[in-house]
Amino acid sequence: MRQSEPLHGPGRLQQDHELFPVHLIGSTQPYGVLMVLTESTFTITQVSQNTFDYLDIRPQSLLGKSVLDLLEPSSRAQLQQSLRTCTHHPSYVPIAITVANTVKSFDGLVHRTNQCTILELEPASPQQTGQPSGALQNNLHQVIAHLRGVNDITDFLQTAVTEIQTLTGYDRVMVYQFDQYDAGSVVAEVKPPEEVSYLGLHYPATDIPTSVRQLYQQSTVRFIPDLTAPPVELITIENSAAGPAEEVTSPLDLTYATLRGVDPCCIEYHQNMGVAALLVIALVKDNQLWGLISCHHRTPKFLPCSTRLACEVLGQLVAAELGSKVDKTELHYINSLRTIQADFVDSIANAKNFKQALIEPALRLLDMVSAQGAAVCLDQDITLIGHTPTLEEVKTLSKWAMTETSTEIFHTSCLSDVYPTAATFKTVASGLIVLKISQFRRYLILWFRPEVLQTVNWAGDPQTSVHETDEGHILLCPRNSFEQWQEIVQATAIPWQPAEITNAVALKNAIVGIVLNKADELAQINLELERSNRELDSFAYAASHDLKEPLRGITNFSNILLKRHGQALNESGIKRLQTLVKLAERMDGLIDALLKFSRLGQTALLLQPTDLNLLVPTVVEMLQAGREEDLPPLQVQIPLPLPIVSADPVLITEVFSNLLSNALKYTDKPQPLVEIGCLTHEERLEQQAATDITPDSCVLYVKDDGIGIQTRHFQNIFRLFKRLHERDSYGGGTGVGLTIAKKIIERHGGRIWVESVYGEKTTFYFVLNCKEK
Amino acid sequence: MQGNSKTPLLVVEDSDEDFEILQIFMEDMAVTNPIYRCTTGDKALDFLYRTPDTEADTIVQPSMILLDLNLPGIDGRDVLVRLKQDEQFREIPIVIFTTNSDPKDIKFCYRKGANGYLIKPVRTERFEKAIQAFVDYWLNTNTPPDWVELTGLK
Repeated sequence: MRQSEPLHGPGRLQQDHELFPVHLIGSTQPYGVLMVLTESTFTITQVSQNTFDYLDIRPQSLLGKSVLDLLEPSSRAQLQQSLRTCTHHPSYVPIAITVANTVKSFDGLVHRTNQCTILELEPASPQQTGQPSGALQNNLHQVIAHLRGVNDITDFLQTAVTEIQTLTGYDRVMVYQFDQYDAGSVVAEVKPPEEVSYLGLHYPATDIPTSVRQLYQQSTVRFIPDLTAPPVELITIENSAAGPAEEVTSPLDLTYATLRGVDPCCIEYHQNMGVAALLVIALVKDNQLWGLISCHHRTPKFLPCSTRLACEVLGQLVAAELGSKVDKTELHYINSLRTIQADFVDSIANAKNFKQALIEPALRLLDMVSAQGAAVCLDQDITLIGHTPTLEEVKTLSKWAMTETSTEIFHTSCLSDVYPTAATFKTVASGLIVLKISQFRRYLILWFRPEVLQTVNWAGDPQTSVHETDEGHILLCPRNSFEQWQEIVQATAIPWQPAEITNAVALKNAIVGIVLNKADELAQINLELERSNRELDSFAYAASHDLKEPLRGITNFSNILLKRHGQALNESGIKRLQTLVKLAERMDGLIDALLKFSRLGQTALLLQPTDLNLLVPTVVEMLQAGREEDLPPLQVQIPLPLPIVSADPVLITEVFSNLLSNALKYTDKPQPLVEIGCLTHEERLEQQAATDITPDSCVLYVKDDGIGIQTRHFQNIFRLFKRLHERDSYGGGTGVGLTIAKKIIERHGGRIWVESVYGEKTTFYFVLNCKEK
Repeated sequence: MQGNSKTPLLVVEDSDEDFEILQIFMEDMAVTNPIYRCTTGDKALDFLYRTPDTEADTIVQPSMILLDLNLPGIDGRDVLVRLKQDEQFREIPIVIFTTNSDPKDIKFCYRKGANGYLIKPVRTERFEKAIQAFVDYWLNTNTPPDWVELTGLK
């Protein structure tokens, strides 16, 4: 007797509970009669045992008969029509049956299952005979209009429960919303003033088993007028024949039957809550069970069929309207987020320094997604804002984020779930958004949210509904305590809202757009700069040319004067004329220097592997040759072999020549000592200025024991025509040698700097690309 | 030393000062060659391409040209190119005499057929040396293409 097998008892194995086939319960509620009919002849094959209470006929007498024979002739045609056209969804049909010589009205509901047709009869309420009253319809129209007029979701749901409460008269009407884990919470409620509020309470997913949730998706209204009413068994042709039941018939599917019997678990659960009558209307949005409208009554309560149908319509309306309602608070928030975003994008677009625009004002970056901390990582450059983990922790985290998250944006409200190290800084960063600005470089923005010891108010301890039996099975029990039970959730931040994530992505798009614009601008500026540099070079070149011509005239005519008309001049006249020539000749030297300098910018670099071990001695030889014979020979030391560099040998010769001749010029020693070398790895580490130089470069130096340079001149000495000493001291010179050396080194992509102890020594360092070490 | 003293020399030079100094130094160096001077490139071309006034006139063309590069109007480079492309003038040696020391220009001139390139120094003694070198080689040592016509076979 499978169908009538008792299912009572305090608990059930959890697996059974989850999958327990509630629709195959095999019993009905006693507020009406349920008949199972064959499809063609409408012969009654199964019937609820309570027929005598309503029809004054024993169930056994009904089995095997056509249902049409029961009816008043006036109802037959309508029922026949309904039976033929019905679907799995119950349709209403008024029925008249003569019971004990009186014609009685019934509300009939017919629907079809896979194997048969089911007819449910319940006595029509006295005021409900015939068509549903106009009053109910009017009422319904008003309610619908009212609901449509409410925009805010919270107001809307509250209106819905109020209207349904008015319509049905239940003590308590609530909207129960499922979350993504099928746990639920009460989001709207009307209740008697003396009762405890359930608003805001959470219910574990086990409270409404999967099978029940599935049923709600199909049959959206569940009506239980009296939870204490004893279930009514069904009898079939087979078991009415007094013989032993044969299990040939498959169990009857009561999914869509209004009278479907109540699961004992459900009875106990609700009785523990003090509920005696129940009406549940499912809210199905986009084919998903969004939530339930749950109506409770402390005493048994019957609701006429027409009102239930009206409630079903309302439920459908509420579900359909859910999508168009908005959360005002959220909307307001989203609007403020948008304002921040627009402001942000604006200021980044106008900013000269994009990083500065990101981090100032600091609050704006945080407000963008309502975070408490943020880190802007531009490769090695990390800026922390607000409450964040330490710099080292952020560095490691950013490395992890670069490799472990593949999408442009990643977010979590429980970082330690995916990144266990985060447990150490969960108080500041349990929530994380990673926004990748570039896939190639480590350009990231991280936002942090602190751990919030989130308090979830459960309706009773969710754990108490699950018991472990002695055999280790998990038992589910209907909970009997619905007292508020608080659970504290750790290492978790307030979840990021979709609007915040959207904002972060929008920021990235803005940044990328701006960066692209800036790149364009930069390319344009570079082009301009290149052009103006070229112009300047050619200007300097042309100008120096044109300067030469008059200068030549001056020297030549002065010399002619001296030579041919010397006798007409007195001594001072001759001297002054000689000064004129000398000045013109110095000007010629300056122009030559200018020419040389401008030519440097105009000619192409001819890079080639250049062995400094060959180049440097040539320079030394050249200088030696130009030296006056009475001076002692040059002493140039090269302690270690020099590298082979990738350079233009002519220009590098010029650099060494300039540096060496300076070393020989600016000295007070009769025999100056010059050292040329290349810094070793260890020496480079000691050099503050050399720390950021790439390993494929080498740092060369020219060290002398000369007069030294004061620190305040370290920059000046590289300026064009800048001399530190009187014109004729230390062998004169135009003050262009170091400028040229600097320009050459910079054209090679390197840089040059000086170190000196005034009065003792000077060392020039410069960087060149190594061919090989 | 071959006597080229009659070979006429054309100097294309816009600077009066430079030309005057040139003359002074050449005088000092006892240069007796006739010297024609043009102050612009256009005038130089007009001079070379002039037509005789009468049938009887014979046009004496220079057997040596000293050419400045930076000239008003047609530039020295254009004059060089024009003359070196012309069958009639191709053989006349052209020595560039200029302030311009741009390696690109030096290369250009040789490529276009210049026979020498002298940079005008600012310092008088060097300037004099440059002229001396020119006189010594091009006027006193070198045999010009029309030497036979000018001097008759010895």
